[in-house]
Amino acid sequence: MSHHFNWMLLLPELVLTAGGVVILLLEAIAISLRRSFTVLAVLVTLGAGYAAYYVTPLHHVLTGRDATFNGLIETSPVTLAFTLVVLLATVISLLASQSYLRREGILAGEYHALLLWCAVGLLLMLRATELLTVFLALETLSLSLYCLAAFHRRISISSEAAIKYFLMGAFVSAFALYGIALIYGGTGSTHFEGIGHALAAQPFTNVLASLGFLMLIAAFGFKMSIAPFHAWSPDAYQGAPSPFVAFLSVAPKVASALVLYRLLDAIVQGGTAPNAYKWSTVVAILSVASMVVGNFLAVVQRDIKRMLAYSGVAHMGYLLLALVVMDRASLMPVLVYLLAYVLMNAGAFTVVSLLYSWPGEQHLISDLGGWGYRYPLLGACLAVCMLSLGGIPPTLGFFGKYVVFLNAVGDGREGLAVTGVLVSLVGVFYYLRVVYYLYMKPETRQPEGLLIDVWGRAAAVLAALGTLALGLWPTGLLHWLIAATAVK
Amino acid sequence: MDTFFGLLAGNTLTRLVFFPALAAIPLLFLVKASAKTAKIYVLIASLVELAFGIFYLATHLGADGSFALVHDAPLTWIASYGIKYDLAMDGISMPLVLLGIFLVPIVILGSWKGIHDHWPLFGVSLLLLTTGVLGALLAYDLFVFYVFWEVMLVPMYLLIGIWGGERKIYAAVKFFLYTMAGSLLMLIAILWMAWTFQKLNGGVWSFAYADMLRLNLPEHQQIWLFAAFALTFAIKVPMFPVHTWLPDAHVEAPTGGSVILAGILLKLGTYGFLRFALPLFPHASVVARPLLLALAVIGIIYGALVAWVQVDMKKLVAYSSIAHLGFVMLGLLAADIVAWQGSLLQMVNHGLSTGALFLLVGMLYDRRHTKKFDEFGGLAKVMPVFAFFLVFASLASVGLPALNGFVGEFMILTGSFRILGWPVAVATFGVVLAALYLLKMIQLTIWGPITKEENKKLSDLSFREVAALVPLCVLMLWIGVAPNAFLQPSRQALVDVLAQYKQRIEEPDVREASLRPPPTEVAVVAAKATEAGR
Repeated sequence: MSHHFNWMLLLPELVLTAGGVVILLLEAIAISLRRSFTVLAVLVTLGAGYAAYYVTPLHHVLTGRDATFNGLIETSPVTLAFTLVVLLATVISLLASQSYLRREGILAGEYHALLLWCAVGLLLMLRATELLTVFLALETLSLSLYCLAAFHRRISISSEAAIKYFLMGAFVSAFALYGIALIYGGTGSTHFEGIGHALAAQPFTNVLASLGFLMLIAAFGFKMSIAPFHAWSPDAYQGAPSPFVAFLSVAPKVASALVLYRLLDAIVQGGTAPNAYKWSTVVAILSVASMVVGNFLAVVQRDIKRMLAYSGVAHMGYLLLALVVMDRASLMPVLVYLLAYVLMNAGAFTVVSLLYSWPGEQHLISDLGGWGYRYPLLGACLAVCMLSLGGIPPTLGFFGKYVVFLNAVGDGREGLAVTGVLVSLVGVFYYLRVVYYLYMKPETRQPEGLLIDVWGRAAAVLAALGTLALGLWPTGLLHWLIAATAVK
Repeated sequence: MDTFFGLLAGNTLTRLVFFPALAAIPLLFLVKASAKTAKIYVLIASLVELAFGIFYLATHLGADGSFALVHDAPLTWIASYGIKYDLAMDGISMPLVLLGIFLVPIVILGSWKGIHDHWPLFGVSLLLLTTGVLGALLAYDLFVFYVFWEVMLVPMYLLIGIWGGERKIYAAVKFFLYTMAGSLLMLIAILWMAWTFQKLNGGVWSFAYADMLRLNLPEHQQIWLFAAFALTFAIKVPMFPVHTWLPDAHVEAPTGGSVILAGILLKLGTYGFLRFALPLFPHASVVARPLLLALAVIGIIYGALVAWVQVDMKKLVAYSSIAHLGFVMLGLLAADIVAWQGSLLQMVNHGLSTGALFLLVGMLYDRRHTKKFDEFGGLAKVMPVFAFFLVFASLASVGLPALNGFVGEFMILTGSFRILGWPVAVATFGVVLAALYLLKMIQLTIWGPITKEENKKLSDLSFREVAALVPLCVLMLWIGVAPNAFLQPSRQALVDVLAQYKQRIEEPDVREASLRPPPTEVAVVAAKATEAGR
């Protein structure tokens, strides 16, 4: 633990924060530059990505870990990998936003600034080694998210979604804080490492800390929309601006997954074997619940955004399947799955934001009828994302499922893996529905009021091509992730 | 040579598999191109592929007509899991691969008029499907096999769903979900095997087929794995009672889709049994044999009886497929060299004769937009050439001596009767039933008086349609008259697989999973067994 304040390590967050501030200032003094805010924000995000790479001690890979602020914030290849995934989601969402904001007449710098500050919160959250810092980051994130959910303020459904999200989110924040307090009461520490050591020293089951863990799992389960904490997501997704949902539906899940991992890791470090086994059962139950609830509720949705919300619940179930094996080796499957999920889900929401005007209305899947021919490029991108979400090779979505299921099978949990594949069959059914509306149904709707710009197209192509290319050549990615997660 | 693109440039299996996919890429950018441009482009691409296939065969066929195992140089694909891109062709996959390549141009000719919309996308689907099918037939790594196996689904889904009939979406989704249901369980089985191999092999991963053959698993483990593989392949064959997707898919698919489905896709099920399910899990296959045998015989009789009562020509041909593939399964279960040779030949035969029948039904449908028997009758008077081909293909399908169907069915029945006994006698009734339903079809469509006014003005087959049918009929006759040229290339491969399979059945059950010695030593043992077997 280094007792110094190395501001350099905070460079990615500083770049993002400053970028947001600059955009806000430009909004005030140079309003004519509004159209270029997207490019500016993307450049800032890329800069943050480079900064994250720059400050991560990759050259000494085996001890490649650095910390600052008395060890509250750490930097390691693992956090770098998660950081890059979050920033990728930010880039896709930013690119997708421009056409939406212009179409709705709400183009303003606040949007870009808030999105960048969301990323700041996420980056801090996944690099924090201590629960109170995690909580501060969580609040930074959440406040920005609430504002963005309500960004289309003239539309009542958007405000409604934001209020719902805000009320539940505030409640969950209280949960998280209370959980942290209980854990501190039970173990005398809020550091993940300290919690682990304290648990290891106690021969008995720590009821207080266990209760705290459950509350924290519930809080982050809410952010990840794991069943049964998922109820907010369909409403919030439906009402919030679609390009923002491309971010909301993926990025907070990425950072929360790492926090959840750290939490479980602390329990395993400290717990006796049966104790660890109990917690892995808890995760398994949440995983199966999410897979089943998500997939079966997604089948009956007619609105594509609600469908993707429930499918997101199912995908978090698959992700938890990797976390059931509470082992450092399961970080690699988690990362592969998250990357796949970011690409395919953000890609899908990008196309949705481009092809549906009237944000207050429903986004019926049947409205896409025959549009695969009217918009060949966007249609193909959406189809690729759907097939990837369904886990059809050769997409990264398939490869993500492959590593997750392999991890579960290797741990002797064939039953969970079989459950996973069987419910994913249900998933294939509703993803295919989008594909058949695109290509096999006659057109039912004339496009009106759409604005499809080059940035939106770029976001969709980036997501679809990324899904395909990484699905075909996962070697390099896998090699790097295995090396990164091997660092202790 | 040791890069993917190096392989692609040479006379290799990689070129055979990926040329269609590469040829599909320009079409993606020609989405708005005219149908004619797309048609001609796809036809030329498929003919080039056919030329590559024939050239490959010509350069690798032995002087005595045998075909030895040929590997492309294996390339590392996903190093962390030891997954190798490894394609290989032996006497078992060779006939099916060539059948697949051979059918594509015919399908395009057969779809020339029947497909109206979105020709570029039709071409893309067809070419990608070819890549998927050939890849699945040639993959020698289970991961690669699985990827190709799934890749086939999407283009076939599009073929049925975009250009199909009234209930096309129902049929397409049903096809997709049925196939996926099996293959997902197979994925878990493959993962389990790879994990076990890695555990026994000191942490070194492999999905290679040869390495999976080295796994010596206890029977209780084999049974689960076999169940997953067998379910996947049984759905694809399709065997009773998981056949219900097939009539829907066939009836709703466009002509070209039906030909591909019957011609190649279904063969992957039986091929899967022969290549994977039986050799990998010998003990489990013996345990499951009575069940599979019963299902195969039920499939033969049930398929034939249901075909008999159909009023729709395409449905009749679809149900006849269930019966025909029941025979193939019967031969495979017998584990006898004559029966296996018959089964492999019958896979090709079924592709040719059923493919021709689907084309003929499609040609009639293009003219009258119906496939119901009661709309036809007396067509021989107005369409003599059509009548000739219909009778020819039907007789080949029935199993008339001197045509291909006879050779295959005869070998299957004689070969398996020695081993399996009375169930084969029951199955033989299927041959009689085949004559019943196919002759019924001929009688109701082309013989008798012309009852409908519309049928009097029907035009006979065009040059293009004849050009699609003639190659099929030539092969049917050729196989029927000189089957040896078609049996010889596969013989050695089948003998080897059978010898190893039988030897492993004889081995006692083990209590814990272990690894056999590497394949080089196994090959020596197998060779000795072959010697002894002769």
